[in-house]
Amino acid sequence: MTKRRRDLTVLQQLSRGPIDIPFLMLVVILTAIGVVAVFSASYPTAMNEGLNPANYFIKQAGFGVVGLVAMYLISKINYQTFRGLSIFVLGVSIVLLVLVLPFGYGRSTVGAQRWISLPIIGGFQPSEIAKVGVIMYFAARLSKRNTEKHKRLPPRHPLSGLYAWMDEKGVLEPIPYFLILGVVAILMLMEPHMSGTILVLVGGASVLFAAGIKLYWFVGGGTLAAAGLFFIMTQTSYMATRLAIWKDPWNDGMNGRDKGFQIIQSLYAIGSGGLLGVGFGKSRQKFLYLPESENDYIFSIWCEEMGFVGAAIVIILFILLVIRGYWIAVHARDRFGALLVVGITTLTAVQVFLNISVVTNLIPSTGISLPFFSYGGTALMIQLAEMGMVLSVSRQIPAPKQE
Amino acid sequence: MAQRKKGNRVIRQRPDRRANRTILIRSLFLMAIFGLLAFIPLFVKLWQIQISQHEYYQDLAVQQQTRDSTVTANRGTIYDSNGEVLAMSATVYNVQLSPRDLVETQESYQKAVEKAQESGGKLPDYPEPTDQFIAENLAAILELEVEDVLDHLQNKNSQYEMIKYRIDPEESDAVQEFITENHLSHGIYLMPTSKRYYPKGSLAAQVIGWVNPNLDNVGAYGLEAQFESELSGQTGRVVTAKDGVGTELLYRFEDYYDATDGDNLTLTLDATIQSYCESILQEGVEQFDVQDGGFCIAMDPNTGAILGWANSPTYDPNDPWTVSDPVLQAYLESVKSNPASNEAAYQKALAEGCSAEEAAEASISNAKWVVQNAQWTNKAVTSSYEPGSTFKSVVLAAALEEGVVSESDHFYCSGSVMVEGYDDPIRCSDRDGHGDQDLAKAVANSCNPAFIAIGQRLGAEKFYDYLEDFGFLGPTNIDMQGEPSSGGQIVWSRDSFTNVDLAVASFGQRFNVTPLQLITAASAVVNGGHLMQPYVVSQITDADGNVIQHTEPTEIRQVVSERTSERCRTILEKVVDGGTGKNAAVEGYRIGGKTGSSETTETDHTIVSFLGFAPADDPQVVILLAYDNPKPAYPGANVTADQWYISGGNMAAIKAGELLEKILDHLGVEKSYSANDDVLVPNLNGLNLADATSALQKNNLTIRTVGDGDTVTGQIPANGASIPGGSEVVVYMGVDVPTDQVTVPNLDGLSMDQAKQRLSALGLYLKATGATEYGSNVVAYDQSIAAGTSVDRGTTVEVRFTDSTASGAGL
Repeated sequence: MTKRRRDLTVLQQLSRGPIDIPFLMLVVILTAIGVVAVFSASYPTAMNEGLNPANYFIKQAGFGVVGLVAMYLISKINYQTFRGLSIFVLGVSIVLLVLVLPFGYGRSTVGAQRWISLPIIGGFQPSEIAKVGVIMYFAARLSKRNTEKHKRLPPRHPLSGLYAWMDEKGVLEPIPYFLILGVVAILMLMEPHMSGTILVLVGGASVLFAAGIKLYWFVGGGTLAAAGLFFIMTQTSYMATRLAIWKDPWNDGMNGRDKGFQIIQSLYAIGSGGLLGVGFGKSRQKFLYLPESENDYIFSIWCEEMGFVGAAIVIILFILLVIRGYWIAVHARDRFGALLVVGITTLTAVQVFLNISVVTNLIPSTGISLPFFSYGGTALMIQLAEMGMVLSVSRQIPAPKQE
Repeated sequence: MAQRKKGNRVIRQRPDRRANRTILIRSLFLMAIFGLLAFIPLFVKLWQIQISQHEYYQDLAVQQQTRDSTVTANRGTIYDSNGEVLAMSATVYNVQLSPRDLVETQESYQKAVEKAQESGGKLPDYPEPTDQFIAENLAAILELEVEDVLDHLQNKNSQYEMIKYRIDPEESDAVQEFITENHLSHGIYLMPTSKRYYPKGSLAAQVIGWVNPNLDNVGAYGLEAQFESELSGQTGRVVTAKDGVGTELLYRFEDYYDATDGDNLTLTLDATIQSYCESILQEGVEQFDVQDGGFCIAMDPNTGAILGWANSPTYDPNDPWTVSDPVLQAYLESVKSNPASNEAAYQKALAEGCSAEEAAEASISNAKWVVQNAQWTNKAVTSSYEPGSTFKSVVLAAALEEGVVSESDHFYCSGSVMVEGYDDPIRCSDRDGHGDQDLAKAVANSCNPAFIAIGQRLGAEKFYDYLEDFGFLGPTNIDMQGEPSSGGQIVWSRDSFTNVDLAVASFGQRFNVTPLQLITAASAVVNGGHLMQPYVVSQITDADGNVIQHTEPTEIRQVVSERTSERCRTILEKVVDGGTGKNAAVEGYRIGGKTGSSETTETDHTIVSFLGFAPADDPQVVILLAYDNPKPAYPGANVTADQWYISGGNMAAIKAGELLEKILDHLGVEKSYSANDDVLVPNLNGLNLADATSALQKNNLTIRTVGDGDTVTGQIPANGASIPGGSEVVVYMGVDVPTDQVTVPNLDGLSMDQAKQRLSALGLYLKATGATEYGSNVVAYDQSIAAGTSVDRGTTVEVRFTDSTASGAGL
């Protein structure tokens, strides 16, 4: 029983606005290319495991279709609903991040406890939920920051003057957010999951930034992060070896057959591609040379098969997606929508940037998957769900005034 | 416009322009960074990797992705002129272990065992392929040390561990069987490769050369090296793709580059003539106590084709590093027992600061290197010597061509002659002098004063012209490796060629030529004056038999006229027919030639040689046979320990006669006999005495009867036997033919009459060859049936005679 338009509230009417077609198309195209890329990159792995060569492709395609449907359905939801949901999502993700430590798995395969298995949904990484949860919650709260009542200490309190001053200068405002980020980050580092932590921090920071938190926090945070990074890189042996391998992958003590192996194989793949690539499906590096060729390093295979031109096209599609994302953000009907979209878009952009930087050895390696491309069903679903949220926001963009 | 519900009230939130503006600006800032700036380094980096460094990474990737296996081309075969195989290649195998694959094989064995234990199935019916098991068995088959094989197996990451190269077919069969029985096909591989075989062993070893199996079968010496590019062919490749764990990806990225088999060489050498040359050379080396080996070349004078080309010392190209020549072995042993005796190398090592032990080692290894080089070198093309009197044949031709001498000229030899510009008299080999001699006699006597006179008549200018025309000033350009670019060593330039030089050059002294130059020039003297370019490769054919190159005889120039050449042949025939070369005479063949005994700068070191050709009226073959350094019985002696007079006429000529006879026979040149020609014994059975007598008389035979029957009941020799004319046939009249055998007597040192008597007393017949008719000092030195052998009565014994007191006129 569909209600007739005039029976709807204003809000309901707004949520039935037109979806942003460019953004939708970009998502669909990227998902399609991604699924096809998985097909090419995964079949030697599947065959080697004694599976149907199309095994991974079929699964990924299934998740892709389901994910796109889910995205559409989510886009139909009035995104204001997410405000209320956000605290719930964040809470659940923190619970899951706690649960993953004793009940998760992954220690044996990647050396980190990152996955958890739930009935019906199957195995997934709680960190994926945490990213969305943080962004949703931050966006929901920060959109109200101008109307929030500022707490005051009792006037007689010895620190009330200082407190008031700090409050006025915005020193106090981000502290609750930092605490949340801290909790999430610590939980993820216990898995450990460095790259996931970075993404959560980036997602949260982007919302904080866009919302208008005082810039000195970012200057200070940036300085702190740089100092920390510098310390880790120079003072810890773990990062020192990573750094050495980043500078020269062959210098891993086994002439490129140990820790430098994966990045070397990735470079071989990308380099072999040349301008136009060796042709779709004709990658050689995927034949058990390049580890994780259907996962984190899927872009290397894409570069090998499609060449610089193919790689550039994909990156340009990502750029367009990101730009359109920010466009939706700045046109969003309210601040919550804007911040939500800014968070999701930035998260996606950073993920793409980091993944491609790693496979091209632009930065030291860290395990970040490529959105829409890397094999992984729930990751793709969550990715598309996030896109659904963006589309949901896009529906409520006010139509331009007709002059 | 945001709305907010709170309880029942709807509070209109005032648009906060400032907050919205912040969000807008900061979002646009983020867009600028993450929507554009961040991606620029990615494009730059991708451009670097994919475009700038594309080839670098592609090469590295292809290297790891492909397995490049070579397909060996079959090396071409070398044939003699009759199609007999002199060198050929066959496929043999290298044994390769892949410890990495073996680990997998061992793991799968373990899995099979576990599975069998779990399910109660059958255990594998072959032993567990442990490293120890594999090493022990392979070591046993291949005669290796178990430890060594185990060492190879320790390199667990390796896929290429060669444990033995070029194994015999029996060994490879055994290895294959071991692999099959023990299911080790994943880990032990037999890799095909090729091996060079020389089926005739040392035959023509210096001409053919050998290939070095340690250097990919590349030709190291001789024709194998000279024609390396033709023989080796083009190695093919199979490039197959493999995946990251080394498994071949069938039908993916596979490239074939076909191997092109090498071309085949057909030589002018005739294996039979070659073996004659070699056996004659070797016999002479032993017979005359020759210390530095020798050489023997047989050439077709009409084409320049080399028919046989023997060198001593020699070796077996199947195993080129082994020294088998007794003289070289003895030298090597002597150095081993006393390293200091190899003085140069020993002192050099000491001077370089080696200890005595190291110096001894250096000395031995140097000696080894020296003897190996000695046996590999084709001296007849690489080294030069003083031609000595053999060169007189060339001078003769020049003089006749220029008309400065004629057959009617007479020369007087007093034993020595004074030459203007030289203080001492130049002696002739006959100290007492040859007296008065016509031209032919002077040549037959190899008279030095006569040739000095001939040289003077020619004059230095003309003489030098002929040196040049006969090809002594440059290489012969034979298709063989190692010919000096200057040819021999004519030490004089045209301007510095003095009268004294002319005098000594006239009898072949004080300058060096290569044996090849000499025989090429001599061919021109006897073949009608045509200087031919010598060659050994007559044809190159590809693997399918298509002729790629065919060598046509090349005439470089006509040096002397047909007429001059004919006159030379006549005069040179007299050298063998009663002259210094009479020991080379062969009954039934017309042989011409010239002897030579070349002095060297060393004392007691003579090179004795014989230059011969036959038949004298139409030469089919020219030979040059030389023995380097027959050992005198004592210092200064002119005979060897076995009383062989050291001269070309008394050594080389004897062997040359034998050789020419064999070659001519092989070439199918018919013998022509005069009075003593062999005749066939007719069938006398059933004839009466008168008929039998007349039948024998018709055939130039005499009769002796045994018994007194009326008709002939038996005869010795039997019907159809071939015996020398004038011999006696024993006819049995009613008496049984005796069937007992007689023992061949030792005829060594007997004169021809004595030998004939000794034989006929036993009912045997004499067939004399060699120097049979000249002088009283002609004695037997060799017989076709060894003394002590039992033979039927009536058998013909061929006896070779030699003039043992031939003067020193070997020069």
